[in-house]
Amino acid sequence: MGFGMRINFVDVICDDSLRTVHANGKPVGYAFDIRLSYYRGLFLSCVDQFALTVDGQAVNSQDITFGIHGKSIPVNFLSHCASEFWGLTEPASIEVTTAQGLEPGAHEIDLTLMLRIPYMPIPVGDNLVYMPLDSCGRKTLTLEA
Amino acid sequence: MSKIELGASLFCFTAEYARGILDFEGCVRTAAAFGATGYEIVGAQMVPSYPAVSDEFAAEVAACKDKYGIGPVSYGANMDRGLVKNHHLCVDEMVERSIIDIKSAAKLGCSFMRQQFLISPEGFKRLAPYAERYGVKVGIEMHNPDTPSSERIQAFIQAIEESGSSYLGLIPDFGSFATRPNKPHWDTALANGASEAHLRLAADCRYEGQTFAQATETLKQAGAADAVFVALQGMYGYVTFYKEPDLEGLKNIVPYCLYCHGKFHYLDENNKEVSIPYPDILKVLKAADFKGYIMSEFEGHDSGQALDMTQRHIQMMHLMVQD
Repeated sequence: MGFGMRINFVDVICDDSLRTVHANGKPVGYAFDIRLSYYRGLFLSCVDQFALTVDGQAVNSQDITFGIHGKSIPVNFLSHCASEFWGLTEPASIEVTTAQGLEPGAHEIDLTLMLRIPYMPIPVGDNLVYMPLDSCGRKTLTLEA
Repeated sequence: MSKIELGASLFCFTAEYARGILDFEGCVRTAAAFGATGYEIVGAQMVPSYPAVSDEFAAEVAACKDKYGIGPVSYGANMDRGLVKNHHLCVDEMVERSIIDIKSAAKLGCSFMRQQFLISPEGFKRLAPYAERYGVKVGIEMHNPDTPSSERIQAFIQAIEESGSSYLGLIPDFGSFATRPNKPHWDTALANGASEAHLRLAADCRYEGQTFAQATETLKQAGAADAVFVALQGMYGYVTFYKEPDLEGLKNIVPYCLYCHGKFHYLDENNKEVSIPYPDILKVLKAADFKGYIMSEFEGHDSGQALDMTQRHIQMMHLMVQD
């Protein structure tokens, strides 16, 4: 986790939000909800880094979607979403496709989520970069049997 | 009767709103109960359909006005110049985004919109016809470390003059006139291992006019803890302070002031802001015949004291404007 501003009014990983996703008559993945750790909402194009580790295993980013406003956005596409706004109080649904879902019980979710604060340039050398925002979260969630 | 009106930025209730302790209606109800006669809303914080305003939200705002007697006076916009990765929005793009904000402000019934300096003086000037069309006066937020006399603010004043429009102006934040270090930052630094002596040394560097690099070197040699350097960033940035604040400059910009941000971080038990010289600021505003809102704007949401502080700030302001 790098340098960045942290403004933390709520947990990033939402309590009691872990659930199994079904399709084709069987478990095909899992989902949980996250909140933005900031004082205002941001457009999704401000996401600079999104990486997920579950139970110590890195999840392939191609298998993760970010769900908001009834849309499902591959996390590798977030940086293209300059008109999709993630509101301060809006939970987003993170869905991971897997071969057989997760076992019931406790699972450690570790999310690296770094964004840019797009109105806060910081001078670095000749280039202007923007203040990084740390919206990372880690929590153990329980999947009910 | 005083020509100064007292409002509150709903930004004061950021922590309570984020945590679901207050919803939007709760924020309006609280501001009204504290004595605000109008409010500022930060679009990117509380407008559910941001950046546009939905009919549904406009109706909720109107219903709150009927119920609590206060409505939105100003729309706080953000200039997200870094919206697209590896690209700074150009002036055309920033103007286009601002037009959406002006429309949203108008739909909410706001008289004013606060825009941020990244729009550039050129982009700002180009907003004049849109501001006039939608009936929303647009002001550039003057925030610490800018002061009325700083180059950036002077460039915006020139843009206002060149536009020839009464729909462009400035919105000074009282934090620009701070005379003492920010108390919550100071206390946080102490809690994180800074020594009082090193913090005083940092403040003295600032008072003496050392550059940030010089101050950093001075503190390194004194063996200051990391927390001192964190505080030092603030002392040279968003919460900087001055031996002699630019009150003369404030007098000069009053004709451009659409409204003011009554910034506060910490009020002591006598309702005195410990870092910002409110009596001196109010004296200048009154002498220069300022008419309009002072919007209480609390920063220090981690303290958990936003409600108490905001209520007391508006009480303090009531007494000051009556003097």
